[in-house]
Amino acid sequence: MNSKRRLSKIFIHAALCLVSIVCLFPIVWMCIIAFKDPSESVSGFSSLLIHQFSSQNISRLMALIPFGTNFKNSILSTLGGTITTLFFCSLAGFGFAKYRFPGRNGLFYFLIATMLVPPEVGSVPLFLIMKKLGLINSLWSLIIPRMTTAVGIFYMRQYILGVPDSLVEAARIDGCNEFKIYYRIVLPIIKPAIASWTVLTVVARWNDFFWPLLFLRNQENYTLMVSLSMLPFSEGMSTPWPVIMCGTMIITLPVIIVYLTMQLFFKEGITEGAVKG
Amino acid sequence: MIQALKRYKWPYLFIMPFFLLFLIFQLIPNIFTVVISLTKWNAIAKPQYVGLKNYQLLFCDQMFWDATWNTFIYWLISGIIIIVLALFIGSLLTSKQLKIKKIYSTITFLPNVCAVISMAIIFKLFFDTNEGLFNSILVSVGIPKQEWITGASLSKIPVIFLYSWRNIPWYTMIIVSGLLNISPDFYEAAHVDGANTVQQFFKITLPSLSNVLFFCFITLTSDAWKIFNESYMLKGPSTSNISLFQYMYDSGFTIFKMGYASAIGVVLTVILLVVSIVQFIIRKRQGEV
Repeated sequence: MNSKRRLSKIFIHAALCLVSIVCLFPIVWMCIIAFKDPSESVSGFSSLLIHQFSSQNISRLMALIPFGTNFKNSILSTLGGTITTLFFCSLAGFGFAKYRFPGRNGLFYFLIATMLVPPEVGSVPLFLIMKKLGLINSLWSLIIPRMTTAVGIFYMRQYILGVPDSLVEAARIDGCNEFKIYYRIVLPIIKPAIASWTVLTVVARWNDFFWPLLFLRNQENYTLMVSLSMLPFSEGMSTPWPVIMCGTMIITLPVIIVYLTMQLFFKEGITEGAVKG
Repeated sequence: MIQALKRYKWPYLFIMPFFLLFLIFQLIPNIFTVVISLTKWNAIAKPQYVGLKNYQLLFCDQMFWDATWNTFIYWLISGIIIIVLALFIGSLLTSKQLKIKKIYSTITFLPNVCAVISMAIIFKLFFDTNEGLFNSILVSVGIPKQEWITGASLSKIPVIFLYSWRNIPWYTMIIVSGLLNISPDFYEAAHVDGANTVQQFFKITLPSLSNVLFFCFITLTSDAWKIFNESYMLKGPSTSNISLFQYMYDSGFTIFKMGYASAIGVVLTVILLVVSIVQFIIRKRQGEV
């Protein structure tokens, strides 16, 4: 029995190590290439080692794309998108979880049903609406449509259902108005939910590609994702791989850092607390 | 009515933004997609009503069928790969014999955090015919070089690979939360009755996870049918790995056939609704909704 136990333990660790390697390899590999000199070959196994170290790839990249502006656009759209989403989703989640009002269940089922049809299929008219609103090339076009998401509201509602009704009632008797109950009572209690949803939203917004590609139509307004995807890359004459990898490294590392810090702060980790019940 | 609004003005106010934004940025566009799909329109001149002609053209268009077939393959193959591996990794992560869970679960979630664009660029180098690491590995074990992205027959594989690699962690996370909710008593009882690990998996784990798996199927379906980034970045020759949604984007925003693009959008919506409804019906048959 004991040896069998040990064997299965070894198997579990071996399997998880293998999975971890598959997960980490592309990221590590990218970072290696990012520090290679552009003159160096990246073909085959020689891509795994640095023979000629170079930290100049970033300045080479900056010569190709308006890096600073694009970076700023990425940051602003991520920040704006995340803050507005957190506020409106938790507010609506509170509305659905802690009030009884006519049509509540119907509206909630409707909200769930909206998840079945992705907004992307309406992208032709959506583009025209944005044009009418004068939001093409504006970062607001990325923020406003997704200030509320059905998934976010669903998630917040699940979490707020666990907040005791007596707390809400007590606050009401103390004379808090409904909005004050939200930000004085509910918001502090659901901090863990806010934290995990922040990470998931930051990651999603930062990595967003389709909507910026659609709504931002010139290079000055691009987010970094779009800018990088437009770099000519393939074998031969185009952008050297190390320069591209330097760019991809720079856009990948910030979210990884955000993710790892949050993961450290929470005992259980975000990934465990994120989906409950 | 007005009295109700007054009395419940707070909750209505709280949930209103969603419905307002949904109306403007999702419902109206979706309805207009249907309207535009009945016209011929290049986005500059006045749209011209052509009835169902776009749909007729669509069903005779080989590119459309290629794109539909490719997307179907992406959905089916990646769906199977993702669910199976997510179940496997999820079971490993929740195993009782594992003491240091956190480091593994942190690492295995990383692919989902990485930007799809940067990962696509890396996979492009990885699968490159002449320079790619993957072909070098194949050659070193005696298998000849393959044209992974540039060859029509294989170009779907890198897309499936990238899509699965990035999405497995997400579904693993959902499955792990489901696994943690299964009462350990079940396993204890099964253990006493002499059931082995495989039997336990099929008799206890899978049935207890049915709700969670259903949720996974639904999200996977709506996500995989609108696959775009992966196939856009790892574009193969002609239509060999174009996705349906990518074909819609190309028709609408590259060659400005707005009516045609909208028709593709409508077809995509119908496919999504049909697949979801079928899943719901199957689920209801099992009597578990």
